Amino acid sequence: MRKIDRLGWTDGIAILSYGVRVGIRVNDSRAMERILKLLPPGWKPASSPVVESLFSVYLGGASGQEKIRRFNLLYGGMQRLVRSFDETEIYTTLESNLRLTVAEAARRRVFVHAGVVGWKGMAIVIPGRSFSGKTTLVRELLRAGATYYSDEYAVLDQQGRVHPFAKPLSIRESGTADQTDYTVEALGGEAGKKPLPVGLVVISDYKAGARWRPQKLTAGQGALELLAHTISARRQPEVALSTLHRVASRASVLKSKRGEARHVIDSILKTIA
Amino acid sequence: MQKRTAKLEPLARTEGLIVQRLPDEVLVYDLDRHKAHCLNQTAALVWQHCDGEKNVAQIARRLSKEFKTEVGEEVVYLALEQLGKDHLLAERIPMPQQMQGVSRRDLMRRVGLATAVALPIVISIMSPTAAHAVTCIASGSPCSTTVVCCSTLATCTPPATCP
Repeated sequence: MRKIDRLGWTDGIAILSYGVRVGIRVNDSRAMERILKLLPPGWKPASSPVVESLFSVYLGGASGQEKIRRFNLLYGGMQRLVRSFDETEIYTTLESNLRLTVAEAARRRVFVHAGVVGWKGMAIVIPGRSFSGKTTLVRELLRAGATYYSDEYAVLDQQGRVHPFAKPLSIRESGTADQTDYTVEALGGEAGKKPLPVGLVVISDYKAGARWRPQKLTAGQGALELLAHTISARRQPEVALSTLHRVASRASVLKSKRGEARHVIDSILKTIA
Repeated sequence: MQKRTAKLEPLARTEGLIVQRLPDEVLVYDLDRHKAHCLNQTAALVWQHCDGEKNVAQIARRLSKEFKTEVGEEVVYLALEQLGKDHLLAERIPMPQQMQGVSRRDLMRRVGLATAVALPIVISIMSPTAAHAVTCIASGSPCSTTVVCCSTLATCTPPATCP
């Protein structure tokens, strides 16, 4: 038995998300209540306790000795991911690692780091790195009447349709990297439920004062741009490439720097109309 | 490292590649280097004809037939130079004397003026690791070995925090 297995686990759950079996065990059943709220959208309890990835949450709490606190720990498999006195840090990292694990290991879906909205029966996919302004663009599109699909992952099936991954929108406080989560309903929007074909891919970084001058990319170039944000690109390149090439062959792929999101919304929506 | 040889019958690499053909382009994923390439039509046709039997002049003639316009050997050499650099040929092909020592930009301009077909272009990206493709961790928050810090776009090891 390995050292980590001897830490005294008292509760746990095995879940199935996008075909990936993930387990979480805890040493304190208080943690389970909070963890259930962090699980990836669309998860189900797994029928078998055998999992592909296992996370372990160890809450330190107070030790028997006065003035001594124990660290809270998070492990992904055998690897320690977080050691902190702050429980919130454990849960934040667990949440992002759960989503990443599912995104990387999903076999029948390709996860692209992107914002997604639905508009007139088609999806608009906005791939990009953190701080490229994806969530801002998604939020502006919701204000214009689009339906919400995701602000983190475009979940693509092998026909090139995008499925909802409707986690709360993580909006950054102005000028900082800290994020606050808002439900789409709190922002006055509505979440999409059915898979949609991709009509438009917008490759766009925010740059203060930049003008929106979109250049139309070829299908191959578009597939490459999407691949640059694909979680399973290295693990399942064949599936990723064939799915992305299907998406980019059918959708328009536009690339441009942009200034404020509200100034480009009309142009984006006209393109897909 | 690939060697430049005097062999002028270029041979396309086939091992360790995933190839997806689009109507006017070819996507190639290099499993050894985790690089993805998009070959435009001209580069794709040159690559397709690199069978180890046809020499540069013969490939140029085949291209002329397919494009129904004169395609010079310089176009083929330009494509071979890019394909070789991107490890898509079994061996790199040396550029002819008159094309050596000239910057790529000048070559493109010179060849571009003399031909009616699109110049061969290979666009490449490094395929991201899962950590590089996802949301980053804010400054001051604990490091993760699987998710990058927003400030550095690199992972760090707990219990350190992102700068």
